[in-house]
Amino acid sequence: MKKLISVRLILSIGLILSMIFAGYSIYYKIKYWGFSISPKQNTNVWAIEANINFIADGSPIKVSLGIPTQNKGFKILEENIIANGYKTQKHADRIVFSARNMIGEQNLYYKIIVFDNINTKDKLKDKAPKAPRIPPFDEQKMAQAQQILDIVEQSEGKDTVEKLIKLFNEEPLNPALKSYIPVQNTTKSKINQMRELLAIEGISTRIARGLNLEEGQKVTPDMMLEAYMDGAWRIYDVSTGERGLPDNFLLFQRGGDSLLDVEGGTDSSVKFSIAKSITSTMNLASQRAKQSKKAGWFDHSIYTLPLAQQNTLKWLSVFPIGILLVVLMRNIVGVQTMGTFTPMLISMSLVKTGFITGLVCFLAIILLGLGIRFIMSKLNLLLVPRISAVVIFVILIIHALTFVGYNFDIKIAQASVFFPIIITAWVIERASITWEEDGPLNAGTELLNSLLVGIIVYFIIANDYVRHIMFVFNELNIVILFIVMLLGTYTGYRLTELRRFAPLVKKVK
Amino acid sequence: MFDWFKKFTSPKLLRAKGVLGMNARNFHIISQYNPRRLYPLVDDKVQTKALALQYGVNTPNLIGVIEHQFQVKNILKMVENHSEFVVKPSHGSGGKGVLVIKGYEANSFTLPSGKTMTYNELYQHISNILSGLYSLGGRYDSALVEEVVHFSDIFKDYSYQGVPDVRVIVYKGYPIMAMSRLSTAESGGRANLHQGAVGVGLDIKTGKTKKAVQHNMPITYHPDTKADLRKIVVPLWREHLLIAAKAYEMTGLGYFGADIVLDAQKGPMMLELNARPGLAIQIANGLGLKKAIKRVDKKYPSGLTAEQRVDYVLA
Repeated sequence: MKKLISVRLILSIGLILSMIFAGYSIYYKIKYWGFSISPKQNTNVWAIEANINFIADGSPIKVSLGIPTQNKGFKILEENIIANGYKTQKHADRIVFSARNMIGEQNLYYKIIVFDNINTKDKLKDKAPKAPRIPPFDEQKMAQAQQILDIVEQSEGKDTVEKLIKLFNEEPLNPALKSYIPVQNTTKSKINQMRELLAIEGISTRIARGLNLEEGQKVTPDMMLEAYMDGAWRIYDVSTGERGLPDNFLLFQRGGDSLLDVEGGTDSSVKFSIAKSITSTMNLASQRAKQSKKAGWFDHSIYTLPLAQQNTLKWLSVFPIGILLVVLMRNIVGVQTMGTFTPMLISMSLVKTGFITGLVCFLAIILLGLGIRFIMSKLNLLLVPRISAVVIFVILIIHALTFVGYNFDIKIAQASVFFPIIITAWVIERASITWEEDGPLNAGTELLNSLLVGIIVYFIIANDYVRHIMFVFNELNIVILFIVMLLGTYTGYRLTELRRFAPLVKKVK
Repeated sequence: MFDWFKKFTSPKLLRAKGVLGMNARNFHIISQYNPRRLYPLVDDKVQTKALALQYGVNTPNLIGVIEHQFQVKNILKMVENHSEFVVKPSHGSGGKGVLVIKGYEANSFTLPSGKTMTYNELYQHISNILSGLYSLGGRYDSALVEEVVHFSDIFKDYSYQGVPDVRVIVYKGYPIMAMSRLSTAESGGRANLHQGAVGVGLDIKTGKTKKAVQHNMPITYHPDTKADLRKIVVPLWREHLLIAAKAYEMTGLGYFGADIVLDAQKGPMMLELNARPGLAIQIANGLGLKKAIKRVDKKYPSGLTAEQRVDYVLA
């Protein structure tokens, strides 16, 4: 008894440690390597190219472009700069190109590859601004502004900023507003008017620029309005008033600076082109992991192996969970199966063949094999030659089924190729011996139990989520290892024993 | 649906009854008290027999051992001084592959059921034994040829064909539980309870019937012979227990089942030992093994001889 407790204690500690390790490791993989729990095979990857164009006038050039930072929603996979003759310098959220003695049209390229934004919409952290400067309006304009703010006050909406933006976008425009703003109005000036009005209300604002990720050439960046409210920067869509970053919106620049500053040049512009491609998540993750500062660990992980090897490992790393199930079925439930891991092998074959097809095939081979085995038992052959003969018969049955399947276009029959021949032959042999010794009922039950457990295991190991998670978070296998070992100390009754020994405690009438 | 659930009982009730489950048996008992290296002593009947001889335990006399295929043809020469004989696999279990020949002449071998088999069939049977058909793990085996046990008439009415035997569970050298297994028509002359043989729980102190079950349900009369199972009293009970207890010194196993048959002239004889005896004996006795095991652990003295232990149990 004492021994059991200490063994259990050690294993429990092992289990807890392995769970802590797995928990941390999973957290790490998700956070730093970008692995995801869902088996979604593909992720959108955006290639964004910023083309800065200006005419150099010969004086020293300094070009500064706002760039997305890693923590603003999108993950940057690759960064590429094409700027011949320029020195480049990267800051946290700007890239600076500098050069001397350049004349004529200049083209600078800044290329990045980013992948799907993860939800960081509410993580727009930045320091608090100073109180806004009240715009220097004359009395008449101030009265007009006040009137508009009164209308805003009374209109419907979540907050002042949203209400104001909605008012600016109303069709037709409110007469008070119409007389306030110039007839010809650009988005930028519209935003500036909003900012002035909000400043009167005491709300600090600024412009943010970014790209709505849709494929296209010469895309101009969209502007959004950021307002500092309730102790945090909130971002608003200036055409709808909706709060928060829209999906697929990549912020390039925030704060007071402009998106592009050019010294020593004229007619500057920045145009973006956006292209979308799809890459496998795993692929992406490994690239990202290599980039991250803690790449050392990743370099020694299985995800750097060639894909072929990875696929084999993927196939293997799903087995422990199947094995766990077999252990549960045998030691906790107490199901009698034909050999310990026969159900495991059946489920593996089912994965290769497909469920229904595999099942039909398996039954066909077993039944035909059993028939042949019975005929053979009359011949009184020795054990090894007899099993060998069964193996050959199984191969012949598979030949026949495949031939029939091909000629009559029955897909089911062709799947028979995937059954492990030797295993199938042994199942037949064991079934027939059990049949002879313990009767057809026992043989049938054992066969059925094996098949049933095999089917249950199949549904677990064929599940996309399970397969993905067990491979991507393969440290879970260590947890399973400890669970299996702990089950090895389970000395309670098996579920079937509750029935088997029931006559012992029950008074029978 | 709910009726089906009623067939189950609760672990609590089973614990209260002291029922030993398979997991507990394997973990607490077998893996603790039965070192793996001792298994060959009981799994190999040739070794068991040699040991039994050494310790003065009665077993059916060995006529010969057939180890290789080329020796199979010597079978007739081997048994020429015997009018009847038994062939069994050395590593068999549960009566698998046991062939009893009650008489023979030329090409005809008579079985207990009255059927006959040809020399070729006998030859084939021995070949099968050698190839491991009836053996644990299916490994190559040898065939034992031994003298036939003449069952005491006591059991005559209680068994349909087959071998009525007494199984005694021995823990730390003390016989703690016993039952008799009686074959039925349904079990095909075999003594395996799960095949439909009758299990009769025997009082460990007296050798008298406590309870009889078939398919886990209590019965009173043998289904084929209609004999009253309550009236069984195993004669020479002390000798039965003594054989079982001596096997503890013989093998060193802390927990085993001894299968004993009663020969009309030679008295109780040990047929085989089992290092992993089944748990059905609890149902036949209406008693849990765990209780008996605890009692031995707590109260029974250690360091006694086999005789002293048997006397301690009987007292």
